[in-house]
Amino acid sequence: MLPVERVIAEEGLVATPRGARLGMRLTWYRSLPFSTVEVASVAIDGAPVDLSDAVVEYDDQSWPLAEMGEQTNSFWFIRDSAFLVLPQVQLTPGDAHEVTLVLNVNPPYIPGMKRVNPQTATLTVG
Amino acid sequence: MTAVTGPQVGVTLYSFTNEWLTRQFDLDSLMREVAKRNLGPNIEIIGFQSFKEFPDVSDEFADHFKALIAETGLNPVSCAINSDRFLKPGQQPIDDATLVEYHKRQLRSAKKLGFSLARSQFACPPNLLPELADYLEEIDMRMGVEVHAPMWAGHPAVVEYGEMYDKINSPRLGWIPDFGGTARAIPPSLLDAARAAGTPEALIEITKEIWAGDEASYVKAGKLRAVAEKEGFAPLHVQACTLAFFILSNNDPQSWAALVDRTIHIHGKFYGVNDAGVEEAIPYEEILPLFRDGGFTGTLVSEWEGHAYCQVDAFEQVRRHQAMCRRIFAGA
Repeated sequence: MLPVERVIAEEGLVATPRGARLGMRLTWYRSLPFSTVEVASVAIDGAPVDLSDAVVEYDDQSWPLAEMGEQTNSFWFIRDSAFLVLPQVQLTPGDAHEVTLVLNVNPPYIPGMKRVNPQTATLTVG
Repeated sequence: MTAVTGPQVGVTLYSFTNEWLTRQFDLDSLMREVAKRNLGPNIEIIGFQSFKEFPDVSDEFADHFKALIAETGLNPVSCAINSDRFLKPGQQPIDDATLVEYHKRQLRSAKKLGFSLARSQFACPPNLLPELADYLEEIDMRMGVEVHAPMWAGHPAVVEYGEMYDKINSPRLGWIPDFGGTARAIPPSLLDAARAAGTPEALIEITKEIWAGDEASYVKAGKLRAVAEKEGFAPLHVQACTLAFFILSNNDPQSWAALVDRTIHIHGKFYGVNDAGVEEAIPYEEILPLFRDGGFTGTLVSEWEGHAYCQVDAFEQVRRHQAMCRRIFAGA
């Protein structure tokens, strides 16, 4: 896998009091407004995760995933990870899970282009 | 300041996208590495790739960047900016006034960081250029639109821009050629990467044949998709081959002659310079003399884009590319 194809971040999957927290990387060469990125799906051990109450965390900001499309002036720096918090997913540190994340990128200067980026990895919960 | 006598070389930090994304370098260490390897002093930086605060950089960051420039001896020539009109996928683009302000924010930051010119995109409609030319005059900067594949001198969008350039006739505006639009072949390194991903030789041959045709990129991509569906090739393999249609096209290298006069900067796009010092896909021997003999005295920044499909040593590729460009520029 090329660096530009990686969507599951180095920070992996962590159990937090707010739910499971998954690190995500942006698959483009430059920073993009969050409004142009979509978390298409997450599956853990083959089971789709309900994303209706998922929250995105980035630096000191956070917003419901459902509102990410409104974030036209918050930029995801290309070297940074953003995090997806899944309140319905409770995991045990040390356990291993197969995680699939699909992230779609819509470059804001190329109308109609949607890059679909799937990745599956086995992650040990931190 | 030393008088410039001919085209200069340099590098865009975009060449090191693999090293950047994998966090092997941060901005400070990457600039130091470029200086240490003598790949500068002229550099181009994509604002939205290297500056976290872009499009609005703070005074603190500008001070830090300028100190870094002073320490490394690098020369910040070009800052790439973006025409992000489609901020909400599937919805209407932002209005013209907002887009102009979006450009001004980036130009203001580029100026604050010490860059002398900005590289822009065709996604900025030509009717906005008069207002941007006035702003460039006000802040004393230049801006050039990148002529990137599938565009070339004869492309309708380039012709339309050229007409507006003639009308405004401002020295603040110009062209930034990117030679991917006039390649002689698909880079063998791209095809090797496709083979390494398991792409059958039959699909590689079909790709080469379609690429050599005269149609637009999207038509070629559609043709490949149709053949692949009929023959049952795997989507992953088709995707590996389709990349070639969007990063390179096969227009006449001599066509750049028409743009030399208004060229303010050059993007030296390349994919692999072999041991003999020759670019594997783009005929630099044919292209660079047009600019050298046409009086171009700006900077060519080496832009290695092989990171779109492979992970060879980008620093070594840039070193080879700069040596090749110097050799050709000196060959008058």
